[in-house]
Amino acid sequence: MTKKHKISLSEEELVLALRNRDKIAIEALYDMYSSSLLGVIARIVVDTAIAEDVLQETFIKIWNSFQSYNTEKGRLFTWMVNIARNLAIDKVRSKDFKNQNKNQELEINVTFIDEQRNTVYKPELLGIRDLVEKLKPEQKAILELVYFKGYTHVEVSEELDVPLGTVKTRLRMAIIQLRTYFN
Amino acid sequence: MEDIKAYIESGILELYVLGDLTPEEKLQVQDMASKHPEIKAELGEIERSLEAYALENAVEPSAHLRDKVLNSLLTNFADDSKFPTKPFNERDDDGYAVAEYDNVRALPTSNTNSFYKYAFAASLAALIISLGALYNTNSKLNESQGQIALLQSRNQSFANQVNYLENDITVAHDASFKIIELQGTKKTPEAKLTMAWSPVKKKVMINLPDMKLAQNDKDHQYQLWAIVDGKPVDLGVFDAKSDTTSNGMIEMRSVANAVMFAVTLEKRGGVPSPTMDQMVVAAPIKG
Repeated sequence: MTKKHKISLSEEELVLALRNRDKIAIEALYDMYSSSLLGVIARIVVDTAIAEDVLQETFIKIWNSFQSYNTEKGRLFTWMVNIARNLAIDKVRSKDFKNQNKNQELEINVTFIDEQRNTVYKPELLGIRDLVEKLKPEQKAILELVYFKGYTHVEVSEELDVPLGTVKTRLRMAIIQLRTYFN
Repeated sequence: MEDIKAYIESGILELYVLGDLTPEEKLQVQDMASKHPEIKAELGEIERSLEAYALENAVEPSAHLRDKVLNSLLTNFADDSKFPTKPFNERDDDGYAVAEYDNVRALPTSNTNSFYKYAFAASLAALIISLGALYNTNSKLNESQGQIALLQSRNQSFANQVNYLENDITVAHDASFKIIELQGTKKTPEAKLTMAWSPVKKKVMINLPDMKLAQNDKDHQYQLWAIVDGKPVDLGVFDAKSDTTSNGMIEMRSVANAVMFAVTLEKRGGVPSPTMDQMVVAAPIKG
């Protein structure tokens, strides 16, 4: 990847290029979002090759159904990450996948993944450990389950055996922590 | 304002961004966001923070995947925009859109594509070969039909010849036949017709190959007459053609006793009584 010049556009430019179905849009889309999307997919589908297959399916789906994306309803990444997460969950729950006996315990955590994979090194994000420390364990657990595992808040409530209201509150608090951190 | 604050703090906006709401709830959030800029701004904040969080947890795909993905998108680049996409019911993928959301199923890999490409190429090749074979067979069929027609025509020709020779032999071997040569009249001194007549068998034959009569047009025919008891009797009509090969000896109507034979040129099909000034050949019968 490092040999190639990565293309980067503003979100507005990218959305416009995707609407016009410019070839440049495909490259920009991949360069800007492939690692973020794979970060989510890889936490659900642990097997590298299968996760990359899902990433490919995700891009195909994004490309083919782009006309259903509406900027009024939210940011481009939010739309894409939901496609990626759902495809990954479909994959893990599919018969093929279960037969391959490759699904692992949902408890596999970020640290495990990071050991397995080449996590992107970004100098500007050196403070990631600070963030992890700022998030309380229960906040981190909820973010992990909902954002990276695709659990619904109802499922989280059952999984962690806490009331629905608590789940919602913790989730909100976790995201507020993220906001203060990134701001 | 209190209501909006409570709405924001309920945590529903986070669930909206995470795609964890029912379609009705999503529509409600969208409606609220369009009415209240504070809610819209709050949604934007949540989205941006989760996007940044994803970026922190990013995993770089293997280097070869970039080309693979780009190629798989570019392969059907030209066609995709034309395909109507069908709505289908499954998990709500986008986290926002509800009823109007349609989609296209992703193709598994490019291997399938190339299989169909090869299959298509093979079918096309088979089609071309089949067409070639069909054309070839058709040519041979036409050729064969031509040969059959030629053989039938020759067969007909032989049959005619055999018929003629049979008649010829009959005439030659039958003593009852008299060979009569009808000579040209003053008007047509060159004209000549040979005929054979058997009074016993009441048979009248004319020999077409050696006749010398002007070729008749399509409106006229020659008519043979016998004079019986002083009256002309119609013995039938015939054509005089320039090519004599297809003609042999033909049998005319029978007559038992005649004192004279004559041929007149009449309108096609013959007439009830001869036109005397159109007489071309004639011969009296001796004894």
